[in-house]
Amino acid sequence: MKLLIVEDDREAAGYLKRALSEAGHAVDFATNGRDGLLLAAGEPYDVIVLDRMLPQVDGLAILRTIRASGVKTPVLLLTALGGIDDRVEGLEAGADDYLVKPFAFAELLARVNALARRPPTQELRTELAIADLKLDLMKRTVTRGGRRIELQPREFQILEYLLRHAGRVVTRTMLLESVWDFHFDPKTNIVETHMSRLRGKVDRGHGHDLIHTVRGAGYVLREPD
Amino acid sequence: MFRSTSLRLAGLYTTIFAILVVVVGVVTLVATRQALSAQFDARIRAESAALVQEYRAEGLTGVIDAVHERDRTPGSLAFGLEGPGGRALAGQLAAEHAALGWSNLRPAGSGETLRLFAVALPDGHRLLVGDDEERVEALDGAVLRVFAIALAVVVILGVAGGYALSGDVHRRLAAISGTAEAIIDGDLGRRVPVRGSDDDLDRLAATFNRMLDRIAVLMDSLKQVSGDIAHDLRTPLTRLRQKLEAGQARPEDREAALEGALADLDSILETFAALLRIAQIEGGARRAGFRPCDLAQLAQHVTEAFSPSAEDQRQSLGFEPPADGAVRVDGDAELLTQLLVNLVENALRHAGPDAHIAVRVGRAGRGAVLSVTDDGPGVPEAERERLFDRFYRLERSRSTPGSGLGLALVAAVARLHGAEVALFPAEPGLEARVAFPEAT
Repeated sequence: MKLLIVEDDREAAGYLKRALSEAGHAVDFATNGRDGLLLAAGEPYDVIVLDRMLPQVDGLAILRTIRASGVKTPVLLLTALGGIDDRVEGLEAGADDYLVKPFAFAELLARVNALARRPPTQELRTELAIADLKLDLMKRTVTRGGRRIELQPREFQILEYLLRHAGRVVTRTMLLESVWDFHFDPKTNIVETHMSRLRGKVDRGHGHDLIHTVRGAGYVLREPD
Repeated sequence: MFRSTSLRLAGLYTTIFAILVVVVGVVTLVATRQALSAQFDARIRAESAALVQEYRAEGLTGVIDAVHERDRTPGSLAFGLEGPGGRALAGQLAAEHAALGWSNLRPAGSGETLRLFAVALPDGHRLLVGDDEERVEALDGAVLRVFAIALAVVVILGVAGGYALSGDVHRRLAAISGTAEAIIDGDLGRRVPVRGSDDDLDRLAATFNRMLDRIAVLMDSLKQVSGDIAHDLRTPLTRLRQKLEAGQARPEDREAALEGALADLDSILETFAALLRIAQIEGGARRAGFRPCDLAQLAQHVTEAFSPSAEDQRQSLGFEPPADGAVRVDGDAELLTQLLVNLVENALRHAGPDAHIAVRVGRAGRGAVLSVTDDGPGVPEAERERLFDRFYRLERSRSTPGSGLGLALVAAVARLHGAEVALFPAEPGLEARVAFPEAT
């Protein structure tokens, strides 16, 4: 994938470029708003990682400008502010996701991947499936190998999210935000507890697991090799 | 002093009143004069009618006698009787030859104007009745004097009252600006004296004081945050440093050291974020985004999210909904959710295994009440209040994870919502209760 990083801290941008390149992406980077704006508007990227506070042209201004000129590239906004209203402001300016500094690299990578492969338009599907696992969005039912699995509403939501991001890492915070709408980190292991129950229902008693833990990052729903 | 608003106002009022007094004086003067002249003329006419009557009854001699007699009476009008051809017969006006009807006359050698009424008697005689205008003028003088005195009184009272009033207002405003100056110079404890009279200046002073209190709270909070950061982040930062040094010194421990360092760093960042969040909430800017929120719905959502974790710890977590559906408060749903999460997590963490935890939402009067009750070991009374302070932790909880900021954040969110939060003994256990004011 081709990524653009706009980040004024050269050292941080350097680390990000190296780590993202190692993860198999082609990375361009700009260290000020003007260069960032020129690259973002001129080159086709899969994802733009944009720092919110930049010299010369502010990150939000860049975002509004490229959105106004019709660029639909997914944007992940990075911020050191962490203010409670900043998230809303960023999303309203046209960001697709939002990450507060400091973050774990695994979190950034998972979110970049989630953004890049997001279908360009929200397709209307009534069924999500992987291997022998099927989830019916209309009837709200889940079956594996033809056998019905009873899920609690939250477990259903988690599984739906995993299916929509099949093959990609889903982090704990991504689940907290999308399933519970918690934009802060509870100390209690609610994600782990729900995941373990979901895995018990989905994977236990089947020859191979579909849900896997990715150490230090999160979970992934994957076809067996 | 002349730049004082109140004095200028008093001056303006005095001027307006003085002008009013002059206008009223002029109007009174004109009206009195008119009424007086009419009365005057009526008297002259009545006298002349009486003399004409005399003439008819007694003849010429009767009139002459009557005129002589009236001339002798002091304070009476002036009369004159002329014979045919203008011959003076009787009275001081006999030689005036005035035309018939009304006329004004200034007799030679006298400064006064005479108002005259001349009437013809049947056989060529002429009767004159007149009065000098002196009396009208005397009354004019009296009216003018009264109004001059009134004017003087108004001006004196206005100026004196203005001085007194503006002096008072000036003193009170000077107290306010003096307080502001003292605060600018660093005496932050100063407050404007309030009289308790509940007038506009008093209310201004009270508002001013409330603003100062608010600023003081914010400054204290800022001071405390910097103090807290210095004190409570130094310890974990030192630990982090030690781990990194150990990893550097012993390559075989490097992996474990790095992992430990990352975990330490995460907890430091978490503490830092929580402190910033508390400070931000206490800043109050979030209040602008308040919307009606259903407390019952939020509580149910949080309870449901944490129930599986509670079960795994052999605890039970239940939500008791209000009797009659939604309980609305004006607030920030995200912060209220965090308040609920912190209270529930607190109970889960400190109530011990086998505890029963109940989340309740209900109404109290016109406000709303939210409570989280557990049947754990509870908290000694002396320590209940202090638990809302930043970094305060019970001795027995020091070994459990947590930053000591959970309840401080709860308190900040409650304050932002104008709610009261307190801990009560639940016999056994502890109840955390948040009482919200009435939704608007």
